[in-house]
Amino acid sequence: MEVIVWSAWVGGLAMGMFVIFHFWIMGKPAGCSTGYGNFCGLLCKNIAYFRTGEYETINNSKLWFLLGIPLGGLLSALQSPEAWHLTFNMGMYDTILPQSDAGKAIWLIFGGALLGFGARLAGACTTGHALVGGAMLNPPSLLAGGIFFMSAFLTTQLLFGT
Amino acid sequence: MFAKFKSISTKARNNFFGLGMGIAFGFFMSHAGATTYDFHAKMFLFEDFQLMIVIGVAVIVAMIGVTILKHFHVTAIATGQEVDFVKKPYQKGLMVGALLFGIGWGMTASCPGTIPAMMGEGKVAGFFAFFGLLIGTTAYGILKSFIQLQKQPPSAQ
Repeated sequence: MEVIVWSAWVGGLAMGMFVIFHFWIMGKPAGCSTGYGNFCGLLCKNIAYFRTGEYETINNSKLWFLLGIPLGGLLSALQSPEAWHLTFNMGMYDTILPQSDAGKAIWLIFGGALLGFGARLAGACTTGHALVGGAMLNPPSLLAGGIFFMSAFLTTQLLFGT
Repeated sequence: MFAKFKSISTKARNNFFGLGMGIAFGFFMSHAGATTYDFHAKMFLFEDFQLMIVIGVAVIVAMIGVTILKHFHVTAIATGQEVDFVKKPYQKGLMVGALLFGIGWGMTASCPGTIPAMMGEGKVAGFFAFFGLLIGTTAYGILKSFIQLQKQPPSAQ
């Protein structure tokens, strides 16, 4: 499903304004990966970690933020000239990923698990560390953001064999 | 009783604003190209700098905005309290976590913020990556709970 992509400058301006308005409206930094813990807490009732500390209240704005994201993606896709439809197409990645649908699915689940585990171990994801942490020039975030990019750069280079 | 009602309505309002911010986030991420797999691959292969410019411009714009908000001691619309510019602290495992995260990013060409938006766009790959994210997050939660249990003295168990 092809979406309309704005110029990088407009997209960057929109994301930057989003970070500012998130501070102004919510009163705290924007973040995505923390909300996954709320979701896991809803699904697994007996894991102590999802019951204490920052997950003491599961039904909070972080959870609703996460639930809002697909709606935003849907709105964007509905503006596309083609009709909304499901697709397993991954563009350039289709040439290097496992060719069977099952293999591709397992690959994505494994990659997703690395994202989920890594984000909790690092404390935040690309949004919390690279975008918001970068805007506040927070040293641990800059370190994490730098490693995110280096590690993804090496992985992509290896995958595409260049 | 009135106080309790007020706290419920504040919470509902906070959640409502959270939902709205999530919709805006997904919408902008999608239009910025962050949900298009090829832009991730091309960025790391130095063929196209769409996402590099997006994040660069976003960080600079946000930096200016944060400076202005801090200067005027703005109060948050959802909570009525002063905006908290809390910074993520350094934590043990940050570097290993970031390394694993980067491998996941390279493997799936997506990150925890773009995956739900991809699902909304009808990208099937996003559903599998989302499932993986839940497994990874749960695994961390189980590990953390287990370590916490080990640290407690036997009498406390």
